[in-house]
Amino acid sequence: MRETYGVVLPGMNLADLTGKLIVIEGTDGVGRSTQIKLLRPWLEQQGRAVLDTGIKRSELAGKGIQQAKEGHTLGRITLSLFYATDFADRLENEIVPALRAGFVVLTDRYTYSLMARAIARGVDPAWIRNVYSFALKPDAVFYLRIGVDDLIPRVVFSTGFDYWESGMDLFPSEDMYESFRKYQTALLGQFDKLAQEYNFEVIDATPDIRSVFARLRDGIAHVLSGEPREPLFSVPKPPAEPEEAPGPAKVVEMPAAAKPATSEGPAEAPAAQTLVKAADGDASR
Amino acid sequence: MKRYGEHRFPGKLFIVEGIDGSGKSTQLMLLHQWLQAEGYGTVFSEWNSSPLVKETTRRGKKKQMLTPATFSLIHATDFADRMEHNIIPLLKAGAVVLCDRYIYTAFGRDVVRGMDPKWVREMYSFAAKPTGAFYFRVPLDVAMNRILNGRAAIKFYEGGMDLGLAEDAEESFKIFQGRILEEYEKMVPEFDLTVIDATLPIEEQQTQMRQIVKARLAQAKRLRVAP
Repeated sequence: MRETYGVVLPGMNLADLTGKLIVIEGTDGVGRSTQIKLLRPWLEQQGRAVLDTGIKRSELAGKGIQQAKEGHTLGRITLSLFYATDFADRLENEIVPALRAGFVVLTDRYTYSLMARAIARGVDPAWIRNVYSFALKPDAVFYLRIGVDDLIPRVVFSTGFDYWESGMDLFPSEDMYESFRKYQTALLGQFDKLAQEYNFEVIDATPDIRSVFARLRDGIAHVLSGEPREPLFSVPKPPAEPEEAPGPAKVVEMPAAAKPATSEGPAEAPAAQTLVKAADGDASR
Repeated sequence: MKRYGEHRFPGKLFIVEGIDGSGKSTQLMLLHQWLQAEGYGTVFSEWNSSPLVKETTRRGKKKQMLTPATFSLIHATDFADRMEHNIIPLLKAGAVVLCDRYIYTAFGRDVVRGMDPKWVREMYSFAAKPTGAFYFRVPLDVAMNRILNGRAAIKFYEGGMDLGLAEDAEESFKIFQGRILEEYEKMVPEFDLTVIDATLPIEEQQTQMRQIVKARLAQAKRLRVAP
C-alpha cells in the first residue's frame, strides 16, 4: 500500500491509490519541463492516462505565491509554508484523485525541491521535513543532475537570470551571475544530500535532450512494468501507524504486464503483508 | 532558525486566547488602552491579517476550497508572515506586542479538523513564546448566548461547516466550538496558559490581567516611550 512520510491527512485513503506517482526533480533550467513534454505523449501512446502537474500550479495558492514573490518581501518561513499550501492543494485535488483513477502522475518537482530551497535559505531541515511529512512517497524520483558550470549557459541563453532562482534574497548583489552561481551551488549541494537520503535515481542531465529522454523512458518503463524492485525508500515508518490488512490482489489488465507484481513496500514490512498489488488501468473508475 | 522558546528580544509579547464569545478581544482592547496610557510603545497584531496571504485565504474561504490541510497551512503561512515581518522586528525594537489569538488558536482548530497535533505544533515551532498568554475560560452556553443574539450569519469555516457536524449552521457552530474548548483545556497545562475566568465582571478580569502584565513588565521601564 502507498505510504506517506509520516502523517496521513484527514480523509485520505491510502489503500485505493492505484496509479503511479513519478517525480522528475532537478534544479532551475535543467530541462525538466522539456522532458515532461516528451514523456507525456510517449506514455499516452501506450494507453496510459497521464496527469502532469508542478509547483505553483494550484488553484488555491499558485496566483498568491506569484503575486507575493513579485514584491520580493517573503520571509523564508512564509515562503516555505506558502509553497506547502500550494503542494497540499495539488496533492489533495489533483494528484490523489488521479492516482485513485489509476493515472500515471508525472510531477515536475515534488517536495524535494521545496525542501532543498528552504534548507539553502537556512530553514531547519527537521522543521521542513515535518511540514512535508504528509506527502505521499512516490514510486520513483528521477533526478536530472547537472553541475553549475553546465547549468549557467543553459539559463543565460534561455530565460535569463531570475530573481529567486538566483537567490537574490540570499545573496543580494549587483551581479546576478555571482548570486546565481552561489545560490545554485548551495542548492545542488542540498539536492545531492536529498538524493542519498531519498534514493533518487540520478540521471546525468548534461547530454542532449534525446539522450536524457532515452534514460528517463527506460527508467519509467521499468517502474510501470510493475516488476519487483528494490525498495526506493529507507525512511523508517512511524511506529504508531496501525497495520492495515492487505486487500485482495487486483489483476493488471494491460496485456504488456499480465502478471501480478509486488508493491514497493518497505523492506521491514511484515511477511504477511508482502503482496499488495498496485494496479494501473481502470481499477477504480 | 529559532525554535519555540523564550525570546531574548527587549520587547514583550502578550496574547489572548479563547473561543468566540469569551470576551478576549474586549479585554485585549482594554489592556491596550491602559498600556498606551502608561506610556508603553504598544502594537496590536491581529490573527489572519497578513497582506501577502490575505487574498489567497479569502478566495479559499469564499469558494470553500479549503480542506483541513490547506486551511491549516494557509493560516500558518499568514502567521509566519506576521511573525517574520511584524512581530519579531517589533520585539527587537522593544515594543509591547499584543496579539488577539496566537498559535494556540491554530492548534485548537486544526486538531479539531483532524490534523495531527504533533505535526501542527512542530510547524508553528518558529513562533516566539509569549511573555504572557491569557486563556479566557467560559462555558460553551455562556459564550453562545453572548454571540448568537443579533449576530450576522455564521460563516462556513467559522462554524466548522466543512466538517459536516450538523445541517444547521448554529448547531454546527456549537459542536465545533465545544470541541475547540476541549482542545484549549488540554493546552492550559501543556503551554502554561494563564486562565482568566471569563464569567467574572469585565472590570474584574481586566484588573487581574493588568496585575500580571504589570509584574512581567517590571524590568521593562525602558520600554516606555512617553512619560
